[in-house]
Amino acid sequence: MIVENLHYAYPPLTPGGEPLPVLKGVNLRVRRGEFLAIMGPTGGGKTTLCLTLNGILPHLMGGTFEGRVVVAGMDTRDHGPGEMSHKVGLVFQDPESQLFNMTVEDEVAFGLESLGLSPSEMEERIAWALEVVRLPGLRKRSPFQLSGGQKKRLAIATVLAMRPQVLVLDEPVTGLDPLGRHEVLAVIEKLKREEEATVVMVEQDAEAVTAWADRVVIMERGRLVLEGSPRQVFSQVESLHGWGLAVPQMSALAHLFNRRQGTSFHFITEDEACSALAGELQSETCTGPRGSIQYPIPNIQYPVSFEHSSAVKVEDLWHRYDDGPLALAGVNLSVEAGDFLAIIGQNGSGKTTLVKHFNGLLRPTRGRVLVLGQDTAGQSVGQLARKVGYLFQNPDHQIFAPTVWEELAFGPRNLGFSEGEVAARTTEALALFGLRDQADTPPAILGYGLRRHVTLAAVWAMRPQILVLDEPTVGLDWRGTRTLMEEVTNLNSQGHTIILVTHDMKLVAEFASKVLVLDEGRTLAYGPTRQLFQQEALLRQAFLAPPPITALARRMRLVLSPSTLLRINSAEGPYGLRGDSLTVEEFYQEYTALRRLGQGG
Amino acid sequence: MSLAFDLYVDRSSWLHRLDPRTKLAFVVLSSILLLNYSHLLVSAAFLLGIHGILWSGKVPASRVRWAWQRMWPITFLILFLWPIFYPQGNEVLLQLWRVRITTQSLLQGLSTALRVDALAFAFLVLLFSTDQARLVRGLVKLGLPYEWGLTLAIALRYLPTLYGIYTTVSEAQQARGWVIGKGNLVQRIKSYLPILVAVIVTALRLADNLSMALAARGFQSGAKRTYLRELKLGLADKVCLPLFAVSLIVFLIVRFA
Repeated sequence: MIVENLHYAYPPLTPGGEPLPVLKGVNLRVRRGEFLAIMGPTGGGKTTLCLTLNGILPHLMGGTFEGRVVVAGMDTRDHGPGEMSHKVGLVFQDPESQLFNMTVEDEVAFGLESLGLSPSEMEERIAWALEVVRLPGLRKRSPFQLSGGQKKRLAIATVLAMRPQVLVLDEPVTGLDPLGRHEVLAVIEKLKREEEATVVMVEQDAEAVTAWADRVVIMERGRLVLEGSPRQVFSQVESLHGWGLAVPQMSALAHLFNRRQGTSFHFITEDEACSALAGELQSETCTGPRGSIQYPIPNIQYPVSFEHSSAVKVEDLWHRYDDGPLALAGVNLSVEAGDFLAIIGQNGSGKTTLVKHFNGLLRPTRGRVLVLGQDTAGQSVGQLARKVGYLFQNPDHQIFAPTVWEELAFGPRNLGFSEGEVAARTTEALALFGLRDQADTPPAILGYGLRRHVTLAAVWAMRPQILVLDEPTVGLDWRGTRTLMEEVTNLNSQGHTIILVTHDMKLVAEFASKVLVLDEGRTLAYGPTRQLFQQEALLRQAFLAPPPITALARRMRLVLSPSTLLRINSAEGPYGLRGDSLTVEEFYQEYTALRRLGQGG
Repeated sequence: MSLAFDLYVDRSSWLHRLDPRTKLAFVVLSSILLLNYSHLLVSAAFLLGIHGILWSGKVPASRVRWAWQRMWPITFLILFLWPIFYPQGNEVLLQLWRVRITTQSLLQGLSTALRVDALAFAFLVLLFSTDQARLVRGLVKLGLPYEWGLTLAIALRYLPTLYGIYTTVSEAQQARGWVIGKGNLVQRIKSYLPILVAVIVTALRLADNLSMALAARGFQSGAKRTYLRELKLGLADKVCLPLFAVSLIVFLIVRFA
């Protein structure tokens, strides 16, 4: 696959307007059997590049197209997406809009019917493709009823069955729960290993890219600004952060050591980090498989406390949907005012069902929910909106007003405040969230990150004591995520109670003070973040795992020799590696403290 | 939610294997007969026959019960209102003030109600036993352009999705203190505006992505389209279709000769 000096501009939004240039001279060569990852900030042109690879751009949308894209000898200028689809399989980010058939089988068959294959050949390929993505036995199921991870895998199967030479995947695991991510990535890995497929994958998650890709290119403002192996690329931590991109935690750690200690570490996996750091301690070696030694951990059975200062109190809450199964089965919870609680668990474990009870969108089938000491029964959603702000996952489900100002004023106005008060709150929200320049812009045309900010500002303008955030960082790049979480932390320090539903364990580790793990509608664990992430066996039960840095800290603790442990335990002050670090910075501090201890003793 | 717009129940029976075109022919024939013969016994016998077909076609009783639950209100309404508004005959059964209920009008009401039920069930035989893909396939075979068939299939497929978006959006706006469906008619219609705007914007985005997804799967790539499952007339079809033809001819002779 060859991309040569590619320039592309979308046609203007309004007649007579300026065309919108997105790609500004992209050069790229992908070898057969190579696994290439494309990373870049939102709005950098990654999706646009994907769309040019099978000719959707410019054939379907027009626009200005210069340079050339050649895949398997076919130039997209001469061949439209219909023909290119034989060579390039494109899997879009949103599974909902690319699964348009009534059954799984028909879904896979659609592309094959377009190719004009015989029914027997189709039968063979459908069976094969569903086998590869591990969905056999679901042929008669409606795609609509599949889980998020299954939908993504089905989307892969639909193009896989067409036997393309290149598979292009646009953020294949974004928005999935950890189990779903693993399932999808395992399928891509299998394709690479067994089918020697050429894969081009757009992905924001640096950990996944490190684990799977042969080569990484960074795309920023329509240009490729950096390329190389994951090791080469992720050693450029400062540049990547400058572009607003994440790096794997191990690379961030290596960078921290190199910058502050003048070392020259270049590890990017947990194994490498463990060996390198244990080697530094001289007496220690990094042997033994992970978790082979059971390190005693404090038992954390947190009794549910029923204090009066609680922001949200949930007592034996059960919920059954009208036509569905039991979604919550006896949840007890007490969130204290000012807490930062993260709720984690797989899709379908009841996270969203639980938090929708906090503002009355759902009502208990059994049990009760108290918000700021008052039973939610008898309070309308509108009344609860004064106390509980709820940020929905997709900002577009909320945005409708002609200007950002109007969007922010909507909530306070609904609560019946005077126009003066509405204006005051709106102005303040605009200032606080840095949206003053956008006050008169229609929110719908803003970029995704800004739309997210508008919705948070709109909820904040209602000044709720409690803020529920339902997977707020999905679709945001690293910088967008940081900015959002910093704002949320800021609100938390002003006394707002934060309840965050998320699949991102790094965010949980860094920001949340307490964690609730839900599993099939039941509380699996509830306690302070630090202790909870030590319960690996428990987390595994819910198909969750602590972030890499915590896993590394635990493992390092395990490889320390008894004499070192003895020294740690008898030392005063900072006592070295406790094995429960939640952030890269914390790990660094503890490790260096440990080394000082080693040198001192 | 997912089942609300799909009546089909997957079973293996002669009725399910029947070509959708044969079942369409059945619906047309039934409608012609039912619209021309209003006799109580015709409708009753027809309904009985249809239940026999549904039973032998392994359509679950729960589906049939579901259908009747939906039909009861209209059945009762007709049964109740017909004698009041169309009094005929002289055999008075009951007289309340100026309302006279006669035997004839009661029977007439009953036969009309049963006729409506019978018509509905003729359609339900088709919908209970034919998945939407095959139904659309049948329509295309009968001459509907493939693009139209695809459009119809996609519209059916996305109804639950749009309903889901509608639910989420209305929840999102309620969470911001917006009250839906209160007040007078104008206020009520106005209260749906913020929701409709967000739903339409989301639907447009969906449609945009859908057109790209179709292209990416080789839609209109120039190759002649083939089909995974070609519709073929089976033995049951070869029995049913001549039977339908004969019935139609007999009907035409009796009616117009």
